[in-house]
Amino acid sequence: MKLNTASETINFAVKLENDSAKFYEDAAQKYVKTRKAFLSFAEENKRNRTLVERTYYEVISDALEAGFSFEGLNADDYPIETGLTSDTSYSDVLRRAIGIEDRIQRFYLDAAEKSKSLMADVPRAFERVAKRRNERKLKLRSLLKEDCDYG
Amino acid sequence: MTILEDPIKEVLELKNYINGEWIESESDQISDVVNPATGKTIAKVPMSTKEEVNAAVEAAKEAFPDWRRTTPLARVRCLFRLKELLEENFEGLSRVQTVEHGKTIDESRGETRRGIEMVEVATGIPSLMMGYNLEDIATGIDEYVIYQPLGVCCNIAPFNFPFMVPLWFAPFAVATGNTVVIKPSPRDPISQVKLAELVDEAGFPPGVWNVVNGHVDAVTTLLEHPDIKTVTFVGTTKIGRDVVYKKCGETGKRAIAQCSAKNYMVIMPDCNVRRTIPALMTSFFGNAGQRCLSGANLVIVGDNKFYNEFLDAVVNTTSRIRVGYGLDEATQMGPMQSIDGKERVLGYVEKGIKEGGKLRLDGRKLDVIGDYPHTYFLNPIIFENVTPDMTIAKEEIFGPVMSVMRAKDLNEAIEMANGSDLGNAHAIFTSSGKDAREFQYRVQSGNVGINIGIVAPMAFFPFGGMKGSFFGVLHGQGRDAIRFFTESKVVIQRWF
Repeated sequence: MKLNTASETINFAVKLENDSAKFYEDAAQKYVKTRKAFLSFAEENKRNRTLVERTYYEVISDALEAGFSFEGLNADDYPIETGLTSDTSYSDVLRRAIGIEDRIQRFYLDAAEKSKSLMADVPRAFERVAKRRNERKLKLRSLLKEDCDYG
Repeated sequence: MTILEDPIKEVLELKNYINGEWIESESDQISDVVNPATGKTIAKVPMSTKEEVNAAVEAAKEAFPDWRRTTPLARVRCLFRLKELLEENFEGLSRVQTVEHGKTIDESRGETRRGIEMVEVATGIPSLMMGYNLEDIATGIDEYVIYQPLGVCCNIAPFNFPFMVPLWFAPFAVATGNTVVIKPSPRDPISQVKLAELVDEAGFPPGVWNVVNGHVDAVTTLLEHPDIKTVTFVGTTKIGRDVVYKKCGETGKRAIAQCSAKNYMVIMPDCNVRRTIPALMTSFFGNAGQRCLSGANLVIVGDNKFYNEFLDAVVNTTSRIRVGYGLDEATQMGPMQSIDGKERVLGYVEKGIKEGGKLRLDGRKLDVIGDYPHTYFLNPIIFENVTPDMTIAKEEIFGPVMSVMRAKDLNEAIEMANGSDLGNAHAIFTSSGKDAREFQYRVQSGNVGINIGIVAPMAFFPFGGMKGSFFGVLHGQGRDAIRFFTESKVVIQRWF
């Protein structure tokens, strides 16, 4: 699905935040040893969502190129797999989480690049969330390494 | 494709808001308010009687003495509460604009935000309204100026920004101690009714803010009313100059008449093409071209190679614009607000063809997303080979039409723009500071864009055009609005 308008793009960002939050909440139920970390990710997703939505609603203006800023973005380029089954191993969850973070980070960076100088503060908010996602990815990688080394 | 929920579930019967009460009109003239995307009637609006318009003015007049004596801080507390309520109702207000006007949801949210910004700026009145003084203008004598409100101020609102335009004026008027009567456009009056509901909730005293629905008769009554002190109007030059401004002159009212536009977007060969094209899409086709800041004439400066490449890119991007229902988040351009407006555009297209314009993109051939009646829709239209003498180059079309012209250099482009009778919002797209300055310096336009397609001044700057685009002295918004809504009184004092 193409994402051309700001409204569509923001909604897609919100969907990514909600879906990935659900993934971490489910993972927290399943794996007690990283429960705290997973729940903190889910909490951070809520803050990301607030940041993105608030920024959009505060800067949106009829004078900005809201309908034309994100031309070329496609939601299908950022699929995330969030379902967990009983046989999903801990290391698989971590690998999947890294994949999710990677895709979401890429979405935010692509959206920021597309809309730079057209959507005022929105690209900056996207970059901020992308940075948080990158930090999260590093943390997940270190958890995975720990699991491989000592698991 | 997500279609947002329609905010209006059943046909609304609109009332007038007079003296803090919702009053049903006794008029037997009722108009339909139609959602232009679906063609369905969403409200019934009365064409209020002369007595009802007079009652609104009377209520505002009665409320004025007490409101004027209310401290500026207490007045702005009402505005702070209104601002909070506007934020809480942001999405609902935006969706109402989309269903009654047709604009896209992004455009409506943008309109809501701009409206709120006016309220925010007006809350600065305790500082903005301060006068000034000087001691010892002669020995033992001091002089100072104070700003006092005028009385009842009215706003005659246009259809193209049904929520925002009255907010260009009303928050400044009431913050400075005046009272207001707003007459919304009968085509899309719901936004002002919704706004008045929030005004009521915010606790403004009865009579400070009034809304009276109607059309020409209501306007005539307001213009002739001796108790109306100021008139703010946004609409065509014909009405603004020949009716509103003229009548205000005859009756001694202050006036701001923001009128028609024919904006030139000048493209220099050194512009950043990638950034420029989205700006042009917003400028020419945003709000379906129904705004006084819209681009109308695209003047491309440069050789054949640049001209062809640039225009091809513009046509290509324009042809992909998704036209549909504004509540569909995928929509980039909504329908025209009225059938009259659409027919007016079609008439200009015929004229354009007849006078030698080459139709490069024929938006009469409809391609609309979704299953909606095509009654109000148009797709974007691009004319090439347009010359300054053609009707489509001179007159305001007020629709999604781009007329492409050529100029050999910046000088010729500026002369073309300055040849227009109108001067609202011309813009240049360039990477050259020198050319940008030259353009800014010479172009006859109240708002000038440099790499900006919609030159909309923020709430703290004045907004008004030049030449046939504006009639009045002070502009709306910002410091101009404070001066417009107040009388300066000079006091010279000496104590024996």
